[in-house]
Amino acid sequence: MPEFIAQTLNGLTLAGVVFLVSSGFTLVFGIMRVTNLAHGAVYLLGGYIGYSVIGSTGNFFYGLAAAALATGAFGFLLERTLIARLRRSEMAELLATLGLIYVIDDVALAIWGGTPLTVNLPGVLGKSSTLPVDGIVYPNGRIFVLGVSVVVAAALYYLLRRTRLGAIIRAGVDDREMVGALGVNVRLANTLVFTLGALLAGFAGVLGGTVLGLYTGADSDMLLFALAVVIVGGLGSFEGAILGSLLIGLVVDYGTAYFAAFAYSVLFIPVIVVLLVKPQGLLGKQGT
Amino acid sequence: MTAAGGGTPAAASPAGVGTPAAAPAGRAARLALAGLERSRRLTGPVAGVAAAVILVLLLQGNGFASTLVVDILVYAVAAMSLDFMAGYAGLISLGQAGFLGVGAYGVAIAENHFFSPWAAVGIALGAVLALGLALGIVAVRTKGVSFVIITLALGQVLYGLAYQWTGLSEGDNGITLANLPSAGPFDLNDPLTLRMTVLVVFAVTVLLLLLFVHSPFGLSLRGVRSNEARLAALGYRTGLHRYLAWVIAVFFAGVAGVLYIFVNDLISPTTMAFSADGFLVVMVVLGGLGSIWGPALGAVVIVLFQQELSTYVTRWQTLMGLTLIAVVLVSPGGFWGLVRAAGRRRDALIARLRAGQPGRPGPADGPGPAPEGPPLAFEAAKPGTEPPQAP
Repeated sequence: MPEFIAQTLNGLTLAGVVFLVSSGFTLVFGIMRVTNLAHGAVYLLGGYIGYSVIGSTGNFFYGLAAAALATGAFGFLLERTLIARLRRSEMAELLATLGLIYVIDDVALAIWGGTPLTVNLPGVLGKSSTLPVDGIVYPNGRIFVLGVSVVVAAALYYLLRRTRLGAIIRAGVDDREMVGALGVNVRLANTLVFTLGALLAGFAGVLGGTVLGLYTGADSDMLLFALAVVIVGGLGSFEGAILGSLLIGLVVDYGTAYFAAFAYSVLFIPVIVVLLVKPQGLLGKQGT
Repeated sequence: MTAAGGGTPAAASPAGVGTPAAAPAGRAARLALAGLERSRRLTGPVAGVAAAVILVLLLQGNGFASTLVVDILVYAVAAMSLDFMAGYAGLISLGQAGFLGVGAYGVAIAENHFFSPWAAVGIALGAVLALGLALGIVAVRTKGVSFVIITLALGQVLYGLAYQWTGLSEGDNGITLANLPSAGPFDLNDPLTLRMTVLVVFAVTVLLLLLFVHSPFGLSLRGVRSNEARLAALGYRTGLHRYLAWVIAVFFAGVAGVLYIFVNDLISPTTMAFSADGFLVVMVVLGGLGSIWGPALGAVVIVLFQQELSTYVTRWQTLMGLTLIAVVLVSPGGFWGLVRAAGRRRDALIARLRAGQPGRPGPADGPGPAPEGPPLAFEAAKPGTEPPQAP
């Protein structure tokens, strides 16, 4: 039983990181219909930037902020240049971001090398504590990551439900043309959402770097998690991203712990079941 | 083979320099016209024969050139299989390397379980076909971006099994193949026989895919891609069309996989990883979506970079990524699109010259829309395709 509880906590931590990545991915898809295949690469890039900044400043939180700002700026530039020029075709955007994966990965390899790195947490966060249940000793860092992702989820929920930008995003998911016709500056909203998505991915990269590590291939792993989340939860649905992240995080973790031979493949069982039963995703809108 | 495209760049260069406004009649114009028409008739066959001769000669040696050519041919089969569904049915798959892996693993696993090499090939191809038939039911329910995502997921399931199901696949180490099929004097364990067999399988794949593409099935497939609603309204079973295109494409990826294990004697999960799926898509898009020949060219470029030039150009993946972005931005037709555009320029010039000839009505046999249609863009609404040039 203690092992099961620890596994569940691990799964929830993974779900937290996956949520940070997939929420940005799903919002970008929802309002812009852009499938950003380079989203995982931006995650890894953020992790590496955070690692370097932490190394030179000695402060974890500077690294976290620097990674988020840097990837946010990268997302802003990307949207204004490449994505804006390709507005005419979803498939062209997808292929261009596929090309971008190779560029980002290769540049990251040149700068940070191929050895796996781990981001270290400062002070008490780097230690472990004994949980009140069954005397499980559990790393504080993982609980911190889980807590941060819950806080970010709450902030995003507030943004989407209580602000004008959130209203525009939600309306854009439902009917893009109508939002444009109402005189909303869709162009600006696109840029903001894309920037926010990249920022969240970079932020997640540093947090993910503490529990999962930074390694070549972390980008495609995270991209696949995000894709699985949006298929299960529904493309463009924020609540779907939460539900999907929980499901994927737990499935991957239990899978790794209990069916090692199929850990990676069981991830896709919910994906295929959802596709067959409810192709628009559990919380997706009809016809998305 | 000429039907696959206008011609080759070599043939098109004279067309490029000639000024269309040249004096209509006259001996020079007639000579130019005859030359151009000859080039239109001959470039396809000549290029084909030349390529075949060069390939056969290269494959004679035991050196690195022949190894490289064989690797290119194997990947060309996989890239062309992907192009068949991506370019003609609009189904861009990011899971195609997974089926290449199934073909290769199928042979290796079957042979390691005491089947004869020939039976192993049959089992592998049967497994790929069965898997294609089954997974197609899931995959072709979607199209466009969703299809890409789903095929990516399916491909990763296959990769995950190869990587983690160590009891069957031996995990990260991969499986080696001891014996290749042989029948009397025909023995694939002999390197030269193997290389020639790869060439023959490549040629047969090209012929079959071109046959499919130009058959009524291929034509209606393109109709499904560009306007599914209309084809459905005309009574075509569009879902079935997509399903068949998928099954055919998956099968040929499996064929490439069988060749792969014959050539390399080893299959490991990296062959099926996400980056490998991406490489196949890059081959197709760089080469030219919807041209069969183009992706073969794409395979030449990518395999060459991956295996040879990576020693000299350390950041070749950056170069490749940027090239892919550039192709998507400026030339959705890829390399083959450039070849086709050159061919169209020549045809337009022929038509102009002909229009200038006395007693020959020009527009009647003018170029009109290019025989093959414009280079395929990624969606029905095509960006960057020029309207057919009026004479």
